[in-house]
Amino acid sequence: MDDASTLERPVLIDVKDVSYAYPPESSDPRPVLSHVNMTVREGEYVAILGHNGSGKSTLAKLINLVIDDYTYAEGQILVNGRDVMSDDITEEEILDLRRSVGMVFQNPDNQLVATIVEEDVAFGPENLGIPQKELRQRVDDALETVGMTEYAQHEPHRLSGGQKQRVAIAGIIAMKPRCMIFDESTAMLDPMGRKEVVATMEKLNREEGITVLSITHYMDEAARADRVVVLSDGKIILDGTPDYVFDHAETMRAAGLDLPQCTAAAKYLKTRGVKLEGSLTSVESCAEAILKAWRERQRKEGACD
Amino acid sequence: MKKRRKNVTETVADTTPVTYMNPVPEGEIPMLRLTHVNYRYSAGTPFEVKALDDINLNIRRGRITGLIGHTGCGKSTLVQLFNGLNRAESGTVELDGEDIWKEPKEIGKIRFRVGLVMQYPEYQLFEETVRADIGFGPKNMKLSPEEIEERVNEAAAFVGLTPDLMDRSPFDLSGGQKRRVAIAGIMAMRPQVLVLDEPAAGLDPQGRHSIFSGIRDYGRRTGCTVIIVSHSMEDMAQYCDDVVVMAHSKVLMAGGRDSVFIRADELEGVGLDIPLVTKLTILLREGGMKIDPGLYTVDAMEDALCEAFGLPLYCDSPDGGPEKGGGRA
Repeated sequence: MDDASTLERPVLIDVKDVSYAYPPESSDPRPVLSHVNMTVREGEYVAILGHNGSGKSTLAKLINLVIDDYTYAEGQILVNGRDVMSDDITEEEILDLRRSVGMVFQNPDNQLVATIVEEDVAFGPENLGIPQKELRQRVDDALETVGMTEYAQHEPHRLSGGQKQRVAIAGIIAMKPRCMIFDESTAMLDPMGRKEVVATMEKLNREEGITVLSITHYMDEAARADRVVVLSDGKIILDGTPDYVFDHAETMRAAGLDLPQCTAAAKYLKTRGVKLEGSLTSVESCAEAILKAWRERQRKEGACD
Repeated sequence: MKKRRKNVTETVADTTPVTYMNPVPEGEIPMLRLTHVNYRYSAGTPFEVKALDDINLNIRRGRITGLIGHTGCGKSTLVQLFNGLNRAESGTVELDGEDIWKEPKEIGKIRFRVGLVMQYPEYQLFEETVRADIGFGPKNMKLSPEEIEERVNEAAAFVGLTPDLMDRSPFDLSGGQKRRVAIAGIMAMRPQVLVLDEPAAGLDPQGRHSIFSGIRDYGRRTGCTVIIVSHSMEDMAQYCDDVVVMAHSKVLMAGGRDSVFIRADELEGVGLDIPLVTKLTILLREGGMKIDPGLYTVDAMEDALCEAFGLPLYCDSPDGGPEKGGGRA
């Protein structure tokens, strides 16, 4: 997605100068977030990176009102124009907000409630009072989107981690959210499960137009986002395209994050004076850039023979 | 149960020649040796699953071995055989040259010699203080209080738990710290073999590095044989000496890490996540560059790239280049 078209889109989430700390009497009253500013536009795919304890999960929980004690919070979080931290927010509005911003958590075993997959997917929309006929349609559509149709009648506890997460995702998309937050939803999965869930996240964003906020510490997942935001000790230290963020290797290292191996190797080549063109975020693009430079060099050297 | 035991006594006599087993240097007795090991879940029912299919494997002493494979490939079943938590249906498991089931009633002693850290061990903490939790194993070994104290402090140091944490409740710690407490609890038993099932699962990159380097230091300094079960090829490439790859209930490859990573395309073939650097080597080779196939660290890749771009040798033969460079990997 190019910058111009993104900037024309309406703002969905606007985090304005937000600070947050646990109560002073708690064992660790350090600020979790300090003066965070971040804007997410409709249809964007944003990855939030940061080490454990950097505040990334707290930020997500504030946006979705999973944390709803704002005694020690400052600033404003506007979701669809409404300040979720204001005192006069009604129960109705909170429910509405949670419906439009869905959240998938880390542990696949903690999110499923029913004994049959399709009942689990129906749990959310049913609570919203969706009529039977539409409910059926929504459940079927949601299962199809995540590629779990054939498991509709299965027992969730017999599924693999990746499949469980996809069922959890289906349960949320059946509520037709505008935005989904993935709070390290791939951290407990094996590589195959990770691939399934990442592919599902991309599909939701590219095909269904759902805004995706993915909190992760996997660099290769971040590399696929439109935008990467890096948090460290409660502050945003980098915010930009994956290429922009990976250009700041030192800043990332200081925040406890490594570049993807292929990007690190390609950038090293650059420091040695080899000109590499294009993006260096994926292993394919790195290989392409290196091969192009290598062929170029060979042609030149061949000519000078 | 009875039936299974009977099977085992029968199969001790299983002398079918082993078709392949990763070699150990002449004269070395492997720390663990598995011969003709088979295991099925729900045997005899319609849900029967073959979890281990004729496993023949040596785990070399004093080294760090990475055990890799997809979920369901049998690796967790395998490690539960190492300390007698499970018993193979047939075949033998030898620890330091002796069948661990020679005296089935003494199997408890084997569990002190082979320490197993399960997945997400932080859910298994239960004592009131970090000190007591780490000391639980040694206490069960009926050691003196002084000895326990010494072992607890030593283990805590290896995993990077600072003294101020020792009298806190383990439940007040962060997830990463809890994980360290659980690992230290097994280390404090000073096992001959330390087996860790996904010790870094769910941790951030810094947490991964610190856990893995703590484990590696522990192995290097104590001479303990370490086995790490993991999904991450990148971590295994960085921290292990030997690598065992399992697929479909069998051992697909076993040996020094160089010998495994040089077969990167086969690893990809069974759907394993090879390190990104190794993936890059494959793509560059496909694109015509002459690069060692077995590279698995960023450093090695940087050297290889410099060579590919810098040497005038390439000027003479655009499509030739030098023969495969020596085993830099």
